[in-house]
Amino acid sequence: MSPQLTLQTPLELAPADVPTYLEQLWSPEQQGSTGTGANTFCLLVWQPAWAEQQLIRTGRLNGPITGQQSDQLVAACRQAVVDADLPSGTPPLSEALIRTAAGWDGDNPSEDLRGQYIDPALSALQPRRLITLAPTIDPEHKLETLVAAYCPLPEEGGGTTACGDVVVLRGGRNALKDGLAILQPLLPERMPAWVWWNGSLDEAPDLLEQLAGTPRRLIIDSAVGTPRQCLDLLRTRVQSGQAVNDLNWLRLSNWQETLAMVFDPPQRREALGHITQMEIDVESHHPAQGLLLAAWIADRLGWELISSESDDDVINARFQRGDGETVRFQLMSVPMGQPSVHPGQMVGLRLICQPDDGRGVCVILCAESGGCMRLESGGMADLELHEEIVPVQSRTPEMDVARLLGGGHDTTNPLLASAAPLAARLLP
Amino acid sequence: MSAMLATATNPLRVGLRQERVIAPQCLVIFGASGDLTHRKLVPALFELFRQRRLPSEFAVLGCARRPWSDEVFREKMSEALARRIEEDPQAWAQFVGKLFYEPVDLQQPDDVVRLGERLERIDEQCATHGNRTFYLSVSPKFYAGGCRALADAGLLKDPKRSRVVIEKPFGRDYGSAQALNRVVQTCGQENQIFRIDHYLGKETVQNIMVLRFANTIFEPIWNRNYISSVQITAAETVGVEERAGYYETSGALRDMVQNHLTQMLAITAMEPPGRFDPEAIRNEKAKVLQATRLADELEPWNCCIRGQYGPGGSNDSPLSGYRQEPGVDPNSTTETYVAMKLFIDNWRWQGVPFYVRTGKRLAKRLSEVVLTFREAPVHLFDAAAGGPTANQLILRIQPDEGAEFRFEVKSPGSGMRSRPIDMEFSYDDSFGEPSDEGYVRLLADAMLSDPTLFTRSDEVEAAWRLYTPLLELIEDSPWQLPVHPYESRTWGPAAADALLARDGLLWRRP
Repeated sequence: MSPQLTLQTPLELAPADVPTYLEQLWSPEQQGSTGTGANTFCLLVWQPAWAEQQLIRTGRLNGPITGQQSDQLVAACRQAVVDADLPSGTPPLSEALIRTAAGWDGDNPSEDLRGQYIDPALSALQPRRLITLAPTIDPEHKLETLVAAYCPLPEEGGGTTACGDVVVLRGGRNALKDGLAILQPLLPERMPAWVWWNGSLDEAPDLLEQLAGTPRRLIIDSAVGTPRQCLDLLRTRVQSGQAVNDLNWLRLSNWQETLAMVFDPPQRREALGHITQMEIDVESHHPAQGLLLAAWIADRLGWELISSESDDDVINARFQRGDGETVRFQLMSVPMGQPSVHPGQMVGLRLICQPDDGRGVCVILCAESGGCMRLESGGMADLELHEEIVPVQSRTPEMDVARLLGGGHDTTNPLLASAAPLAARLLP
Repeated sequence: MSAMLATATNPLRVGLRQERVIAPQCLVIFGASGDLTHRKLVPALFELFRQRRLPSEFAVLGCARRPWSDEVFREKMSEALARRIEEDPQAWAQFVGKLFYEPVDLQQPDDVVRLGERLERIDEQCATHGNRTFYLSVSPKFYAGGCRALADAGLLKDPKRSRVVIEKPFGRDYGSAQALNRVVQTCGQENQIFRIDHYLGKETVQNIMVLRFANTIFEPIWNRNYISSVQITAAETVGVEERAGYYETSGALRDMVQNHLTQMLAITAMEPPGRFDPEAIRNEKAKVLQATRLADELEPWNCCIRGQYGPGGSNDSPLSGYRQEPGVDPNSTTETYVAMKLFIDNWRWQGVPFYVRTGKRLAKRLSEVVLTFREAPVHLFDAAAGGPTANQLILRIQPDEGAEFRFEVKSPGSGMRSRPIDMEFSYDDSFGEPSDEGYVRLLADAMLSDPTLFTRSDEVEAAWRLYTPLLELIEDSPWQLPVHPYESRTWGPAAADALLARDGLLWRRP
């Protein structure tokens, strides 16, 4: 399925005219020409697409700018990492690459279709309003406000057309801030509103604060941004009672499922009460995902965090089990030849269980994308070994977001709500 | 902690379901004051809610003729589910706010118009997006009228955002099922109609498909070259209980065989679908049912046995016979037991007998499919049991869900004698989690617009057509298909044993 474009060319309006224009568009007199307004949800997207903008500007990628995470974009980013002589483990869409690319010459013009280029997974949900904030590389770019009606066409045909609209606010960061005033009337209270922060959590924290207040439901990716900022933001938002969804957490689902599967047979469950050691390997230098997994395990097994410290790329921590025994935890960043698009993805997990009587158990989970030789070594000959390969998820962020929007929860997943504060404490 | 972990549910499994996502919607239950609503439907919805499988934009609108309010409906449900609520009162406090009620008589057009208006208000209030599932938990005589009323009010006009779930029985015979299908199909598209068969909601019935089509070892031998016979059993230990009124008009053939057992047969015998797609699967099920026939259509009494339970039990706990049950005609000839022999006329199954039996007040509660394989062509070894036992694959649907494979091994000792052993797979041992109740799965699938586990019009009609010779015989000359009495809590009438004995076989005594 290819992304869908709005049927009409977006109309450029003065920001102040946008709310009135949209009100008229959906007035009962106009409904015959525009179809029925979908009574679904509004989605507000922060869509910087810095890497895409920089690569198109420097001629390393063909336009237009779409904001989609396409295969071409990822391939161009990987090549740019090589050309820039960045470390081979640099994730392709990373801040390091964006910063380096910003210093390259080039001024290739390109059409900017951010906000008008809608992934089919999202359009299938018939959003009532998609608002895109599209910051430009040029900080002085004046605010442009574009509006279009949008009627997703079901691929199989049929069905009543339930239309929505797209609103794009494009400009330099300051110009965008000036345009925020029009957002409030564009997000009616009667409809659920989601804010997808599709960029680094380090950038524009004040803007994030303004956009993503409760009761809006927040979607972030805790793999994008400095680990401290990512985990603290996740923790504070969860603790404030806001519905928070983390794409990095969502990508852990195969690891959680595989680990749970190992302990499904009742005769293996006893071992869960005797874990003495937990080790996690992650890609590159971003421990957020690994810490979330560790926090989930610790929370589910009722462990208390005693201490945590870090040394370069290693985090060491100690937990106390319910029976008072200690669990040692270590998270290590390991270099990968071809890093994932998402920084800090899981590479491997090892749990060692030592019952007081009976044979010890070692559980190793390895990502199918790479080996986990480090975890497989280290004298486990006397342990009963259970080793599983964890499939890598190949969903795009748009597909993950569509999954969240389709589920429509107004609270944070309770497992994430319990794990996020603990993960933040695990990061020294 | 460790003791708790050893006995409790897998702590890493809690809250981890990776289910497909149910879109925001309103589930409308007609017959909301009836038994099924508080016994099965609302508990299933509450379970889905507890598992976080319902979206926050969700509402249940109960409809019936009683002039209840939202509050009364909520109170009634709270009373009926009191024990479940005790387990998780917080969740119920959140869930109960999603329950609404509207007095509706589907035969009154004004009521249906009012229903449409109420649904629009719920859409506004709960952001349910005009997406609706209508569940007809009403008497079968209202199915056609109910569908018509919904269609006339324009509530089914969007095939992507409206669907109708229809409970069993779907028709009383081939003719009435055809007529009902015609009406239903004028009201909406086939993909909007979900004919429920709660046996298909059982994990182990679905597992038959996974076992067959996710493994390479079974399919090459799943045919007439290797399988000599198939037995499908659904045995109950209970009697007719409080369902006498309904049961007197249906009997075991209509109540169990035409739907549940036939669906088990279809899943066991179908060809592999080209892809895991609802239509592809239902095409194959319909095809195999269209190829199925009674072993002797001209003289059905040769291949079908009817029975009726008589008194039984012990002096301490006597069990009354069917004719002594409250609400049952003392001269009733309604069957509580059916056994029959079927053939499937296709390349895969030509000549392989399928024996099907079901009954009430049998010795044990169980449902299973037993595939018996052909004997080895040459017997090289002495067998401990006199002769080698045929290999059997037993798929246990309930209880103790799982599968076992029976094959010959060398008996320990100096000789070369063989004896049968069982290789076991048990859901409990492997997963240690109770599977969801069938309605949980089926309600979720209906709300997901996934018809895989629901029967299509041609499947229903093929199933009724299969049993038409029997139904006509029972109607026109019942003396040719008499009901054989059997003692309560036994394995049915001796005539059923004789049916297999004629082929040199025995029913499995599990």
